[in-house]
Amino acid sequence: MPLIEIDHVSMSYGAPPRTVLNGIDLSIEEGEFVCVLGQTGCGKSTLLRLLLGSEQPVDGRILIDGREHRRPDRSRGYVPQKYSLFPDKTVLDNITFGPEVSEFGLWRRWMPEFRKRRRELRREALDYLRRIGLSEADGSKYPDQLSGGMQQRVAIAQALMSEPRILLMDEAFSALDPGTRKEMQRLIRSLWQATGTTILFVTHNTHEALRMGTRVIVLAASSGGEGSRVMLDLRVPDSRYPDQIAELAERLETISETSSLVEAAPA
Amino acid sequence: MSAGVLSVHAKPNRAATLILSWALFACGIALYFYVSHARHRDNPEDRVMPTIEQMARGMYSAALHPAEDDEVQTETGNFWQDFPHSMLWKDTKASSRRFLYSMLLLIPAVLLGLHMGLFPYVGVFFLRFILFFDKIVALSLLPILFIAFGIDELSKIMLIVIGVAPTVILDTFNLTRGVPPEQIVKAFTLGAGDFDVAYRVVLKQILPRVLNSIRLNLKAVMLFLFAGEMIASTDGLAYRIALLRRHMGMDVIVPYVLWVALLLFVVDWGMRFANRKLHPWFHE
Repeated sequence: MPLIEIDHVSMSYGAPPRTVLNGIDLSIEEGEFVCVLGQTGCGKSTLLRLLLGSEQPVDGRILIDGREHRRPDRSRGYVPQKYSLFPDKTVLDNITFGPEVSEFGLWRRWMPEFRKRRRELRREALDYLRRIGLSEADGSKYPDQLSGGMQQRVAIAQALMSEPRILLMDEAFSALDPGTRKEMQRLIRSLWQATGTTILFVTHNTHEALRMGTRVIVLAASSGGEGSRVMLDLRVPDSRYPDQIAELAERLETISETSSLVEAAPA
Repeated sequence: MSAGVLSVHAKPNRAATLILSWALFACGIALYFYVSHARHRDNPEDRVMPTIEQMARGMYSAALHPAEDDEVQTETGNFWQDFPHSMLWKDTKASSRRFLYSMLLLIPAVLLGLHMGLFPYVGVFFLRFILFFDKIVALSLLPILFIAFGIDELSKIMLIVIGVAPTVILDTFNLTRGVPPEQIVKAFTLGAGDFDVAYRVVLKQILPRVLNSIRLNLKAVMLFLFAGEMIASTDGLAYRIALLRRHMGMDVIVPYVLWVALLLFVVDWGMRFANRKLHPWFHE
């Protein structure tokens, strides 16, 4: 059984309704790294919000592990493009927030065992800090004292600390400079290989999608304003076959040029 | 070429900043005493603009002489023993108590605004009513409050709460709605429940701004407190000012007004200081 099953999902907004997604069918296996490509406004982020459960489709259903989820929960981690960290908490507190809040809630944190567990979680968080290339001293900083790239690293650590089965990333690197962006691509790829978490990565950058994903899905809006559909669903060849990847990149770029469906920009 | 004094790019140095920031105070004080001196030269009995000696005597009497209703009626000459029996202390204590109760009653107002902003059904239930209530001139409710609650403390405190709470509720509501939805979704994905999101994510983020909003409403709090005390009270700073107005006691009224301003300044400074210490991440 696939981990994520998107069954003929449609979504529209406003009155009169404007269709954004039209009959999306997809199934994603556990451990896949899926990049969702598409023009701005084609519904990539909408698809992610539907997967998160923060919005409900007007038609169709989304099953995660065979179950419909009507609101966001721990099974799906989330890294948005911005506002990804809580500004009032230090880096360490941001990373430990998930386990702390899910294990102790609002009131049980006054219990004595909380302090012991908190120390353990902070040790784990420090380990995560090292893995994402930050120093121990960064742990006591507030998010606004970090650069954009560092903030996104912390946001990834924060999401992974809760050990979600699925990690949903919404243009998480689009605000970063090209150098930091490449570093982050390597980091998320290595974390994916280490943890085996299923990742859905929304981007409008063809090269980024091909560099990171094991599978690329292209969403494209229909000409009649009937909402976006899945236009392409491709397996990305192993990085040992650069020729095939280059051919694929060319193919995606051709689509971009002929139908302006994909914005291709080198990272 | 350096920027001119009236240029947007002008950078006042330390000395200029110090002199200019105190200049209007100095001018105001000098003007007052010049006019006061002139009036007293024409009429030594003038009571409209007391001299500095008259005000010092008035303040000394208010701060160190036992209040009329105090059981102790003799002065010891020791400031720390005499001050707690003085009129100034008793009035300050009475007004501060009402002020403190009113501030404490603003806590539920903040929590209501938070829940209205976060929980759609709570928002739908209260928003229209609060928006309407916010437009009612609180002072026009004073007779109703006196009839409903009597002329005791409750009516005065209710006046302050009714006058200020809707603004605080709506401010908190708007601040809550201003929290990026990504953060709320993110908190849920990290395992937070509704109340974790409300109290550990949203309230913590908006609290410094809520405190600033309350700071900006301090003057309104004092305005309603003074209105209540002036109309129906037997103690308090505003009661004293209203009472002394009947006797043209400007030698005490002016120092009392300055004392109230100083107290409010200290409260405002204290809240700003606490805000900075409690929320080091927050930059205004």
